[in-house]
Order: sequence, then C-alpha cells, then structure tokens
Amino acid sequence: MEDFLQMVASGVVIGGIYALIAMGFVVIYKATGVINFATGELMMLGAFFCFTGMTAAKFPFVAALLAAAMGAAALGALVERVVLRPLMGKATISVIMVTIGLSSIFKGAAQLVWSGDYRAFPPIFPRAPVRLGSVVLPSLQFYPFLIALASCALIALLFRFTRTGTAMRATADDPLAAFSMGIDIRRVFSLSWSLAAVTAALSGVVIGTMGGISPQLGAIGLKVFPVVILGGLDSIGGALLGGFLMGILENLAGGYLDPLVGGGIKEVAPFLVLVAILMVRPYGLFGTREIERL
Amino acid sequence: MRIGDYKETYAADEAIFRTPAVRVWMGALGATMLVFPFVAGDYLLYLANLIGVMIIGALGLNILTGFTGQISLGHAVFVGVGSYAAAIGATRLGLPFYLCIPLGGAAACVAGTVIGVPSLRVKGLYLAIATLSAQVILEWVFSNWDSVTGGIRGINVPPATLSGVSLNTDFRVYFLIYAVTAAFTYFARNLFRTRVGRAFIAIRDRDISAELMGINLFRYKILSFMVSSFYAGVAGAVWVYFAKVVTPEYFPLSLSIQFLAIVIVGGLGSIQGTILGAIFMTLVPELLKAGTEAVKPFFPDAMSYLFPLRDILFGALIVGFLIFEPHGLAEMWQRVKRYFALWPFRS
Amino acid sequence: MRRRKWIVAATGITAALALAAAGALAADDVIKIGACQPITGRFAFAGVSINAGLQDYINYANENGLVKGKKLVYIYEDTGYDTDKAVATFKKIMAKDNPVIMYGDSTGLGKAIAPELNSRYKVLYGSTSFSSELADPKIHPYSFVSGPTYSDQFGILLEYIAKNHKGKGNPKVAFFYSDTEFGKDPIPYARKRAKELGIDVVSEIVTKVGAVDVTTEALALKKTQPDFCIFQGYVLAPIPQVIRTVRDYGLKTTFMGTFWSMDKSIIDKLGADAEGYMGVSPYAYYNEDAPGIQSMRKYNEKANPKEKSRPNSYIQGWFTGMVYVEAINKVLAAKKPVTGDNLKDAIGMIRDWDTGGVTGKVTFVNNKAAVGRVYRANVVKGIFEPVSDWIYVK
Repeated sequence: MEDFLQMVASGVVIGGIYALIAMGFVVIYKATGVINFATGELMMLGAFFCFTGMTAAKFPFVAALLAAAMGAAALGALVERVVLRPLMGKATISVIMVTIGLSSIFKGAAQLVWSGDYRAFPPIFPRAPVRLGSVVLPSLQFYPFLIALASCALIALLFRFTRTGTAMRATADDPLAAFSMGIDIRRVFSLSWSLAAVTAALSGVVIGTMGGISPQLGAIGLKVFPVVILGGLDSIGGALLGGFLMGILENLAGGYLDPLVGGGIKEVAPFLVLVAILMVRPYGLFGTREIERL
Repeated sequence: MRIGDYKETYAADEAIFRTPAVRVWMGALGATMLVFPFVAGDYLLYLANLIGVMIIGALGLNILTGFTGQISLGHAVFVGVGSYAAAIGATRLGLPFYLCIPLGGAAACVAGTVIGVPSLRVKGLYLAIATLSAQVILEWVFSNWDSVTGGIRGINVPPATLSGVSLNTDFRVYFLIYAVTAAFTYFARNLFRTRVGRAFIAIRDRDISAELMGINLFRYKILSFMVSSFYAGVAGAVWVYFAKVVTPEYFPLSLSIQFLAIVIVGGLGSIQGTILGAIFMTLVPELLKAGTEAVKPFFPDAMSYLFPLRDILFGALIVGFLIFEPHGLAEMWQRVKRYFALWPFRS
Repeated sequence: MRRRKWIVAATGITAALALAAAGALAADDVIKIGACQPITGRFAFAGVSINAGLQDYINYANENGLVKGKKLVYIYEDTGYDTDKAVATFKKIMAKDNPVIMYGDSTGLGKAIAPELNSRYKVLYGSTSFSSELADPKIHPYSFVSGPTYSDQFGILLEYIAKNHKGKGNPKVAFFYSDTEFGKDPIPYARKRAKELGIDVVSEIVTKVGAVDVTTEALALKKTQPDFCIFQGYVLAPIPQVIRTVRDYGLKTTFMGTFWSMDKSIIDKLGADAEGYMGVSPYAYYNEDAPGIQSMRKYNEKANPKEKSRPNSYIQGWFTGMVYVEAINKVLAAKKPVTGDNLKDAIGMIRDWDTGGVTGKVTFVNNKAAVGRVYRANVVKGIFEPVSDWIYVK
C-alpha cells in the first residue's frame, strides 16, 4: 500500500508537468487548429535559454526563468509571423510538416550554439526531499512540480478572466464571428503562439531541472499526444486532468508491469492507452465532438 | 512542341507513356540505369541502392498521403515490420528472396490493417496520432520481443541467391533493388488510371462528395492504408537484402519524418515527384558534406558542425518548400519543361 | 607561340611524372589509418575526445618515430552516430584512400560492416565499442576491442564485490541498465558470473536512456535493498536522479558503473551524491602518474596547452592508437607486408605488453584484452582513485 501511495504521489508530480506541456499544445490547437510538433524543441530551447541566463549572465533562477519566458515569447511570435502566417488556410499536412521542419531546425541550431553535451542546472532547490507521511518526494521532483502547477493555474486564469484570454477563446470558437466583433485575429494568433512557446519553455525548464538539458530533451514532447487525446485535443481542463491521469497511470504501469515484461513499459503504456482511447472514445474526456456541417 | 491532344484509340488515350518522345526518354532512362552500376564507384552505388529503397517506401507514403490525403507518422515501423518478416522468412523458414519480399509486404499490410481500422473510423488527425503511437509501440516491440525479433541484437540475414549467384555486393544487389523499384513505380502509376486510384483522389479532394457519389470512405481509406503499408513492407524487405542485418535502431521516428519530407519536397500526389524527392533528399546531405570539406582550409572545425547543419538544412528545406513551392520538385520540373516547350514564347 | 606550348607541355609532363614518382615512393612509406568518428550526434561528447586521442597518438607516434621508416596518416570523417551514414562513410574512405586500418564509431557499424569487412575490405578494425559481440573471432576476425568487453567489465566488478563484501550472507546486487544494445550486451554473462561467484542478483531494472522520472525504478530498488547496484548502458542520465532518489529513500546502496559512466565529469555532475560511487575502468586516468600517462600529458602540454584535462574517451582513442602501432611494429618486425590480414594476426600475438601504465599488461585473447581496475570517487579532489590492482579476467 505504501508503494502504491508513493507511485500515485510521484505520478501526480510528473503528471503536473505533463499537464503543463499539454496546455501549451492545446492553446495552439484551440486557437489556430495547428498540431504543433515542435512542442518538444520549444521546451528544449526554453531550458537552454534559462541555463544560459543562469550560467553566462549569472542571473538568479527566477530572473533567468523570466528571461527565458520572454525569449520564448519572442521566438513564438517570430515563428508565427514568418512561418505560419503564409500557410494560413493551407492543407493540414502542410502545417504539420512545417512544425516538424521547425523542430529539426531548432534541434540543429541548439546543437550548433550549445553543442551536444549534456548539461545540468546549477543547484537551485534545497537538497532535502519532501516527506508527506510515508511518501518521499525528491526535491528535484517536488519544487519543479510546484512551478508547473503555478504555471498551469496562471494560464487557466489568464484564459478565463482576462480580455486577451477571452479573445483567444472567441477566436478558437469561431474566427469569423470573432473578427466581425472587432477582435484582431492576427494578433490573437501571434499571442497564442507566444503563449504556447512560454508554456513550453516553462515545462522545458522544469524537465531540465529534473533530468538535465541536452538537445535531445525535445523527445519527451511526444508524450504530450497521449495526454491530449485522453483529455481532448481542444480542452484545457482536459489537458490538466489528462496530464495527472497519465502520470499516475505511467507510474502504476511501471511499478506493477515492468517486472513482468522486462522493463521499458513506462514509455509504451501511454501510447497503448492512446490507441485504446481512440477505439472507444476518440474525442477524449472533454474534447468537443466534431460535427461536419455542409 | 506538343500542340493539341489527338488520340484515335482508347488504348492510346489511356496509355501511360503518351507520345513517342516520352517513350524514347523512358528508353534512355532504362538504358542509363542498366549501365550505371558498371561505371559508378562503390560509394555512388551504395547511395543509388539506398535511394532505390527510399523510393519504394516513399511511393507507399505518397499513395496514402499525397493521393488519399491521410497522414501517417509511423511509416518507418511498417518498413520495419516488412524487414523483420523478410529476415525471419530468410533465416528461420529458409525462404528464397522472391518469397520473402512479398512476405514482408504482406506482414506490413496486416499491421497496417490493425492500426488503420480503429483510427480511420474518425475523421481528422486521428490517423496521424494513431500512426505515431504505432511508431512508439512497434519500436518497443522490436527491441523487446526477443524470441521473434532477436531483440537488441537483431537478425543477420544472408545475401539473396538467384540461381546459385549470391547477391552479396552492392553491384549485384543494385539490380534486385531497381527491378523491384521499377515494378512498383509502374504499379503505382498504373493504380491511378483505375477506379480504385480515382476513388483515392476523390477522397482526398472532397470526401463528402465522394461519399455522395457512392464511394465507401472507410473501405477505400483502409485499402489505401493497406497498399501503402505493403509498399513499406516491400521496401523493408528489399532493404534487408541490401544491409544484411536488421536491428531496432534502423526504424526511428526520424525515418518516418524523412519519408514525409521526401514526399512533400518531391510533391504530394506526384509519382515523378517522389522519385525526384528521394534523390534530392539523399543527395543534399552529401553535397553539404562536400561543402564542409571544401571549406575545411578556412574553417578547420567545419566538420564538427556537419550534422547540426544537416538538421537545420533538412528543416529549412521542408519549411522553404512548404512556403514557397507547395507542389514540390515535381512542380518545379513541370515549370522547366513548360518553359522549354513554349520557347520562344513566354510561358 | 609554338615553342611556348612545348615548354608548357614539357613542364606539365615532368611535373606529372615527378608527382607520380613521389606518389609511388610515398605510398610505400605511408600507412593510412581511416576513421569513422561520431563527432556530432548523440555520442558527440565522447566522439570529439576519442578522435582527438587517436589523432594525437598518431601524431605522437610520427614525431617520435615509433614506426621505423613509415609515416602514419590519419583520415577521419564524421558519422553523426547514425549507422547508415557510418556504413556509407566507411565505404567512402575505403574507396578513396584504401587504408589498412579502420576505426568505427559504434557497435552498430561493426555489425553492419562485418560481412563486407570479412570478404572484401579485410582491414584491421578497432572501434569505440566494448561489445562482447565484436570480440567473437569467428564472426568478426578483423575486429578487436580496445580492452575488456562490457561483460569483462561486469566480471571485474562482480569479482571485486565477491572479494570485498562484508556482512552476512551473499552480497546482493542489482543490475540497472538501458533497453539498448549498449545496456543489454553484458547482462547474460553477468547473470552467469554472479551465480558462479555466489552473488544474488536481487533485481534487474531496465529503463530508457535519459528517463526523467525514475520513481518506480527507485521503488524497485527500495523493495530489494541491494548492497550494490551496477549501471550499464548510460552515460549520465538518469544516474544522478536514481542515486539521489534512492538516497532520499534512505538506502545505503553502493553504485557502480562501467567505462562510459566512469569519466571524471560524472563526479562533478553528481556533486555530493558522488560519495561512494565506484566503477571499473580499463585505463588509468589522465591525472595519474604512470609513465604512459605522463607522456600523454607532456604531448598535450605542447600540442594542446588549452586542454587542462582529458576524459577517459580520449584515453580510449590514444590506447587504440597504441594498439595499432604495436600491431604494425610486430608485422614489420616479422618482415611481412602491412596488410589487414597480417595486422589482425599480429593482434593475436600481443602478449604481456607493457603499456607504461596506461592499462595493465595487455594480452589479446579472442580479440580483447580483459583487464581493468576498480576505482572509487574522491569527491573532495574530484577524481577517481584506484581501489584495486589491475584485475585480469580469464
């Protein structure tokens, strides 16, 4: 029982981080309908920005984090303007491939600037683990989790209560109607990409503190797909819940199934779940059912 | 200069090679391909073989994505299924290569059906995500199902033998690869003269209208996915006789992306484009390498930047083509031809 | 005008003849060593150093005339640690320069190129790989491993554990490895050897390289409470997280690693958690005082004064260069032509070779030299210190 609680607790912690990554993904999908395959690489760049801020510019952690967020926001806006604006309205495959192309460019650029070496953040958090009853949470999991949770909350609040957030939700719902109401669609698109980049950067920093930074960090971005399918491609609440559920599920699968299968099942389990969900409930927990109107 | 379109028989109208000029060029191409291995060096021969295998795989993906409009992100693992099936057929069942290659195709076809049936029921990007899952799951199966796939060590495959002659050099395997490539290219080109092919195109262009006209969407989408997987499986099987070893490391997500890149850069929905795309995407890294070597006297460290530069170039090509030339190399080629066809008049 | 043409032609022909003559002369006095190096890509952190080590040793050998009457020429190309590219690069170098010795970037390349290496190319082949598969003279007669295979390394660690275990009962060991060839290679042998030595393998944990969340794995360790835990198949991640999490759970397990996770940089990356971290290294470290290492340092002071320290991957390259030169010298001493076949036979004749302390006394059996030493991390000094003598595996 103790082990079960430990696994669930760690699952919640890592799930919070998945939720943050998924939120960035859903923001873009909701606002622009684009599936962003460059999520992982945006995370990686955010982590590197923060790392450079801390080591080269000697900022303290919070300042470096803010600097990384601002850099990511600028990058997101730039990407939207230069690469995605010309492709507005084109076939879905084109847009998907463009994000894949971007991820390749980011990865190569990161390797040129920072070299392929694996780096660790300087120590940021206190070393001692956090104990909740019998459950032990390593400090490098717990504090990043707090950051992830705070970021999720911030974004959810932004969407719900600010004018910009409302504008984004309106554009996502019906761009034409939003446009006729006076909302500047292009600015909303730009903002969505900036927001997504910032979210990705924050999750990248979080992952970087947990496991180190390298140009390969983006690979974890793939995990976002099972989460958003579980939660629903266009639901922010779904991303949150999906993230937590997926984290817990992964840990339980690893804990109970690994000894049976010889290991490595933690990587595959989320995708098996994804296939299962596609078969029974393709729109996920909270996704909107697509109804085609002629 | 071709003026007008005058055909006297149905056969002439439906022919693949329409004019005598095209037939002559095709003949010349065939002759060049036959002579090439005798004059090319080792390295070029190796590249040519690689291109041949990529063409078969990319054709399959183009049928699915370019002609039917469905996106697959897991093409590499279907190639992998074909490779493993052929390898098992060759090593454990002792089958000759002309049975192993269709076996590889069939195995991939079955895998494709299993993945396709749940995901093609729902419209939208779900096939893309389902194939991405297939990529992750099958990669894991390749590494961990030791009893069948040999796990991490993989399977070593003896070279193909044709009536006693062992195809163990790049020179000999070249003929096998290009025989298969030619056959499958011809089949693909032919597919789009038939009812099935036209149904695929109809689904891509406007699937609601296609449904209204009586095309069973689900059936044809599955058929397209099965054909595409068959091509992938055959590409994998042929590749096994080229590389002579199969390990799980040969089929990562980046290979799926490479196939997608070939199809897009070449031109979605164009057979010619796929061939051009495969050649282009395989040769561009080589040109880049030659470039960094030429620059070495000025920038001695240039070599170590080769692979990041390659990644950047790869991404830039994809983004560039999508923004500036969405119909790919095929379109560029058509433009060149039109210019010369209409010369001295402006096109 | 006409005379000018004749002069130009005559000069051209003379020059061509001279070049050809020089080429013919040079060909005899030159021994070419080709290399496919993983300078970029996943293995870049090691590839750059390995390349530097091999290149430096070849220059060192030329400068000090270690091969009488012959000059060594080093030709290398980047493979990005991609097997397809590596095979292509291998073929390209063979076609262009026709070296008699090649160096490969990975186990994958060694396996992929084996059929053609044995039937067509026939060159001496060394590589970055310590895989037991390549040390099979029946399948890979031209390959050798620059020291002990991963299986041998495990064997050395297990012997050390068996000898130094204090406490009641059999020592309890966990194997923690990645689901790659690199990770799984020595495990079957390790299980067997552990049983022979009376060691209980209480758990085997497999993860992906670079896993971020290691809770379940750490829990598995907590359940079985091993005395030792040996990592295989990782370079850095997720070793720090595992050690940290396991310490957080209060376990006192001693962690050990094999070659690629025994570079001194891991002590810096682990920080305080490096206390007690041990492992096996086939070679001495750059900071040690063996004569072979001292000449390495002296060469670097002259040629690369900016490099204050060299990682163990550099020493792998340097040592492989030493093996190449030793093989060449054996062939020359026997007055035989320097070909791949003679070189590979020469490897088998290397017995009790004194490497000046770079490693133990080298004897190649079955294309590997199964010798290594156990080291422990000294967190204060930031280096590894030997805790055993050179151990030879039968």
